[in-house]
Amino acid sequence: MTGLALVPARRLLVERPVVRIALEPGDRVVTTAGAFVVAGDLLAERVRDPRLEEVEERDVRAVPAQPGSWVAAEHGRRGSVAAGEVLFSHGGRRRVATGPHLDLVTAPAAGRVTAVRPGAAIELELDGVGIPGSALLGDPGHGRLVLLPGDGEGRLPLDVAHAGAIVVFSGRADAETLTRARAMGIAGAVVPSLAERDRRDVEASEARQRAGIHRLAAFPVLVVEGYLRRALAGPLRDLLAALAGSPVGLVADPPLLVHGGPATALPRPAPDRVRIRTGPEAGGDGRFLALAGPRRLTAGVATEAARVRLDDGREVVVPLGDLERFA
Amino acid sequence: MTDAAAPAGAAGPPPAAAFATLDRGTATCAAALVGRVDRRWRLVAAAAVPAGADPAALVELLVERARDLDPDLAAEMGLDARSAAPPRIEATGSPAPHAAVLAATDATRRLLEADAAAAGWRTSGASAQRDDALAMLRRATRPGVAMLLVGTGDPPSAEERDLLGEIVALAAGAAERRPDLPVVLVGAAAGRASDFPLATDVVTVPRPHGDPSADLRAILAARRAGPGDPRQALVVAAATLAGVLDLRVELLEVGMSGALRVRAEPAGAPGEAARVAAREVPSALLGLADEAAVDRVEGWTTLPIDRARLRDRLAELRLAPWAEGGGDGPLLRAAALRASVERLVEATDAELGGPAPDLVVLAGGAWSSIPAPAALLVLADAVRRPGVVQVALDAARLLGPLGTIEDAVERTAVLRDLVPDALVPLGTLAVARGVRGGRQAGHLRVVGGDATVEVELAGGRLALVDLPPGQAGAATLAFRGTADLGARGRRFAAPATGGLAGLVVDLRGDPLHLPDRPDERRGLLGRWEAALWPEHDR
Repeated sequence: MTGLALVPARRLLVERPVVRIALEPGDRVVTTAGAFVVAGDLLAERVRDPRLEEVEERDVRAVPAQPGSWVAAEHGRRGSVAAGEVLFSHGGRRRVATGPHLDLVTAPAAGRVTAVRPGAAIELELDGVGIPGSALLGDPGHGRLVLLPGDGEGRLPLDVAHAGAIVVFSGRADAETLTRARAMGIAGAVVPSLAERDRRDVEASEARQRAGIHRLAAFPVLVVEGYLRRALAGPLRDLLAALAGSPVGLVADPPLLVHGGPATALPRPAPDRVRIRTGPEAGGDGRFLALAGPRRLTAGVATEAARVRLDDGREVVVPLGDLERFA
Repeated sequence: MTDAAAPAGAAGPPPAAAFATLDRGTATCAAALVGRVDRRWRLVAAAAVPAGADPAALVELLVERARDLDPDLAAEMGLDARSAAPPRIEATGSPAPHAAVLAATDATRRLLEADAAAAGWRTSGASAQRDDALAMLRRATRPGVAMLLVGTGDPPSAEERDLLGEIVALAAGAAERRPDLPVVLVGAAAGRASDFPLATDVVTVPRPHGDPSADLRAILAARRAGPGDPRQALVVAAATLAGVLDLRVELLEVGMSGALRVRAEPAGAPGEAARVAAREVPSALLGLADEAAVDRVEGWTTLPIDRARLRDRLAELRLAPWAEGGGDGPLLRAAALRASVERLVEATDAELGGPAPDLVVLAGGAWSSIPAPAALLVLADAVRRPGVVQVALDAARLLGPLGTIEDAVERTAVLRDLVPDALVPLGTLAVARGVRGGRQAGHLRVVGGDATVEVELAGGRLALVDLPPGQAGAATLAFRGTADLGARGRRFAAPATGGLAGLVVDLRGDPLHLPDRPDERRGLLGRWEAALWPEHDR
């Protein structure tokens, strides 16, 4: 055996991904299970600041109303109740979630609605493929994919010409860069990693922007790796380069970049291609050669290791835990 | 067992002369190859790899190594090239699932959350007393919620009786939206099962703590854990171990999905089962459980990094818990382990505290991510309990899989054979309380084999005696003043068993006083760490 199967595998592509669009109690669903949608189609109306209204059931005509059903505005003998979602009824009183400001929840990509759960989620099976990330900040969105040049300082290449696009920062990005991107009308971002502090700043900025009466469009940020500074993996860079210029969507559950095209048209790495994720050689790509047996690391811990030939020709021994391959 | 051929043999095919165990955790997958040698089960080989690796390939690797090392013995165990893969015993863990807890009052919410947490569930709760209906429904329908726990006290208070109808109607509304969500109704709510949609899986527990056959924690634990759950299996294994060794055993397991503490005592009389009590604490998971966890890890770390960077590294540990086995990764894990064990002990001391046991077993992959002697120091740092205990490490992670063997006789027989191989002795830990710091506090004399070691004891410090594995000795501790070593006195005699850390006498005080200034605290912790972890600054 070569031992390649002992290297943790990372999924590079998910075919026909099933994604969930989160709903809150009070949101009005305007699609149905089985419906086919394209990117930008309306799925639901989201109540921005939902409030609870109680109404005597004997004062309204639409009885009985099941939890999760939508009721129209009614004017009863003792007052009126706005349109909203029935949460539950008890003791002759109906609790309805309602609110004055509605936002639109749209489909991030083409696909089919497979399930609708009012107040919980809409489930979609999307056409094409998804590239998994580790987290999505903000609400789902879509746009054409643009790869920013450079090693990722991010400050220089941003341009208003990218308005409406989802931009890929192949190197470093921080909260300031992302806020600036949003202000330029950029529709979303893909970043290799983002520190917790920057994530909080981005989310707080997003919440402030969306709380305004004239709110801006969603600005999703897909974090591909994690929290510590790291460049995009080679095979992932190749994939995103192949998708440049195409329409893509970003979804949160699970965090994915989705594209409507077939998987066969996309470049895939060789099976023995590995990447060194952490450790002294972190960031290196290469070929898995063989297992190297148990090794005692500098901190005194013994672990299984492998021999890897890096792209620069060097052969190194790397703990299996620091490696990843792409499946 | 995943194969008909059991270790102890079964009717039909010839009894297996070897089997493999797999402990598939959320961070790493550990495999061990066990073979029958000289009529005894012996550990032949063991290894651990990242959780995403193929477990079958790991077993194959161990078989290959056994063949390479001793082809004749491998053939004798049925592991030659023509043989099929050995049968496997597996324990498979999964991340702690999430339960939404809805209660009429805050007091009941806290009780229900404690019960769910003790059964291994992560919880988020709401009460009609504190939250509005919209917030409660939001909590119940949030993505990731895998169970709804709705209840009142037993018996319900007057306020709960008033609010019961509303809570049940709200929960039924949540069940209408999430037909896949099982609902557990507790106390007076149990009588309202008919209010829920017919398709909902409803479990009623009318008397959660007054009826042993419907004990809430047992029901919740059974709903969380699938067959082969490693934590449930560790409870069984700890009880078996207590019986096999005839010792009071405490088992501490820490992982990425929570932590477990088990206390087991041998049976009082022949024919009786061992007494065992256990509690899971999902919030004591290794790494970034919440902001409080960051505070704790920051308090224990010896790494000179700021809080923001520490938080990022702990968050990264959740994404790839197997990574960074070298460099300063183990130092971070050691700090996170101290924080987790400290939290585990705090959460369980009311139920599982008490005098020191005879043997502490450290189980789970987190303990193996730092050098074995350092694991003993982590235990000493986080569990400040006076007494003398032996400490051992389940290095090959055999206990979990062996705990899944259903037949108690077979499990006992296999474990009895494997104890010497399965438990790596770390040494003996003596923690004394009430010893004044900064002066000559007493004297230690250890007689082991032909050698005698004499050590002057100083308060506020650690004293180390090199006592290798396999060696046993008699330790005599004589203090100048009265000290508490499980019992109060000036002179104590205790058996000392050797291990990778030897005999460690801890006179650092209880509680452990650490400097407030981060650099001074790191320096002090680093000096203690260096004593048992010489490689740590390389």
